[in-house]
Amino acid sequence: MTVTTTTADSSNPSTPERLEPTDVIDHPTKRDEAWRYAPHSELGRLSFGPPVASAPSVPAHVEALIPALDGPRIVVVNGVVDHVRSDVADLPDGVRLSTLADDVRLHPEQLDAHFDRSADDVADAFVALNLAFGRDGAVIDVAPGHEIDAPIHIVDLVIPDETRNASCSGVVIHLGAGSSATVVETRIGGGCEFGGSNTRTTITLDDNATLDHIVLQDVPSTQIHLASIEVTQGFGSVLRARSFNLGAIYGRVAYDVHLAGETARADLSGLYFGTGDQTLDQQITVVHEAQNCTSRQTFRGILDDASTGVFNGGIDVRPGADGTDAEQANDNLLLSKRAEANTQPRLEILADDVSCKHGATVGQLDDEALYYLRTRGVPADEARRLLIRGFADQAVRAVDIETLRTWINDRLGHTDG
Amino acid sequence: MLHVENLTASIGGTPVLKGLDLSVGAGEVHAIMGPNGSGKSTFAHSLAGRDGYEIGGTATLDGADLLDMEPEARAAAGLFIGFQYPVEIPGVNNMYFLRTAVNAVRRARGETEIGARDFLAVAQEATELVEMKQDFLDRSVNAGFSGGEKKRNEILQMAVLKPRLAVLDETDSGLDIDALQIIASGVNALRGPERSVIMITHYQRLLDYIKPDFVHVLVDGRIVASGDHTLALHLDDHGYAAYLNHELDDAPERSFSGAVL
Repeated sequence: MTVTTTTADSSNPSTPERLEPTDVIDHPTKRDEAWRYAPHSELGRLSFGPPVASAPSVPAHVEALIPALDGPRIVVVNGVVDHVRSDVADLPDGVRLSTLADDVRLHPEQLDAHFDRSADDVADAFVALNLAFGRDGAVIDVAPGHEIDAPIHIVDLVIPDETRNASCSGVVIHLGAGSSATVVETRIGGGCEFGGSNTRTTITLDDNATLDHIVLQDVPSTQIHLASIEVTQGFGSVLRARSFNLGAIYGRVAYDVHLAGETARADLSGLYFGTGDQTLDQQITVVHEAQNCTSRQTFRGILDDASTGVFNGGIDVRPGADGTDAEQANDNLLLSKRAEANTQPRLEILADDVSCKHGATVGQLDDEALYYLRTRGVPADEARRLLIRGFADQAVRAVDIETLRTWINDRLGHTDG
Repeated sequence: MLHVENLTASIGGTPVLKGLDLSVGAGEVHAIMGPNGSGKSTFAHSLAGRDGYEIGGTATLDGADLLDMEPEARAAAGLFIGFQYPVEIPGVNNMYFLRTAVNAVRRARGETEIGARDFLAVAQEATELVEMKQDFLDRSVNAGFSGGEKKRNEILQMAVLKPRLAVLDETDSGLDIDALQIIASGVNALRGPERSVIMITHYQRLLDYIKPDFVHVLVDGRIVASGDHTLALHLDDHGYAAYLNHELDDAPERSFSGAVL
């Protein structure tokens, strides 16, 4: 199966489409390491294209899934911004928040970081599809030196349509030198039709900027979710990325982080919690391009029933990136004999004076801890939940916003019964 | 209160308890002493309901058959076990754990649950009892605790769970003298006419601080001698040698004034 880019938004000639119309990118197959655990036949059933004209109605119970954060937000429904549900009034000083569709029309030249990709730069066909059809979403630009306290919330909501079951959207984040901000990306959905969403986030952190970036993925288990997050970090910048990969029959979060300026730091952590037949896939690559940068990958998986967890974590130390300090840890808790955890570190080190550590564990609930809790009167199922929550706590604690911690803990408790 | 008759326990086909008899009345404090491998901890965990034991005989608490119950039901019935090696549970907040346990027991007894605010007062009082700082409650259960802190956390749990019978398994092991005194004063404060305590220990030292009503000697899975607290002093001087190899005729039990079971 192949994807051609000729179907790109032809109604808008100013679209900065850098892929040539003749470029053809093959769909990934099982032989692609990064797509080894993906449900390839289901991926082939996703019908991507320009958004359909009419937005679906959003049931109240779906809207109620959105965490209530105190700050501006943009809500994207089936790939198109829903202005009624968005709130971009009263933006904090130093923040520009607009829709991607508006910027594509008004400032296409400022979107190079998001759209300027040659065929060689495109990781896979789904990124190409997003380049072609991900024409709406959000653009966040923080002016140099501004520290933004209120979290900026981008919600991607998908209710598959009969005629078009898959949608694309994009988020562009740029933090000016010395600024700081928090961006929360919530991905949810509704309906019981098969479908999927393909989101792409590009993040550019100028010198000494600090970004807290949180992804909450909890789309229905009838859907596929594909998330790609590309980051370029300047001198002394800090990324704290937190991902909670919880929903979807196949939920994928792929980070591609480039530490391009010296002493930049990327701290990525995440939690995936699978039940039923879910496959939750984390594909992480951190590229150390400059000297004395630091990276951390700390991911935890909880896998119940017949679910599958994947952690494919790469540390890529380029020539000259001396003084690199990189660590990676992946711990998995298997709650069922049928559950599966796959963990694969990829380390490529082409520099000197480099410290790279990686470790992975796969375990089960501690029988002694279960017994201890039960002797205190805690019934077996509640003791189990308590231990699961305890295992998840490392990832949950890494989120500073209490509303989100509560949202995640509620979600974890809910799933377990 | 507690009646144990002919209790046997095997682990992996190996008999450890070989017919243990013990009765504990309301408000009494009993000490069980014995050499390594005599079955002291197995006795505690047979009462608590650890998996993997083959159990025989009977054990009732206030008339209820303990051996038929799940561990959590035994706790609801009023049993508390102080672990020799309290388990570390990273990521589970001590305060949350304590309240979960207390409310689980209350639910099982048909009582109303206690809210977070009301429980805070209960927990604070308990931390004072074992002379712990407030932040003790905010840490993960036993995770990174020193040996003394773990044992104090056991007594803190006992204080909030208010059991009918507390079985404290080697609560004194690994403690320095200051920690031992804190533990002992905590246990003494929790003594009462309706609460009984069984202390399992190697050494007489703990009994200097918590004076038992009865002392029992456990050897090779059976109680071979019982007496009052002076039996412990005798053991401290002479060791267990006299009781080994079942040379019961030489045992000094008749020279003690305490109840002989």
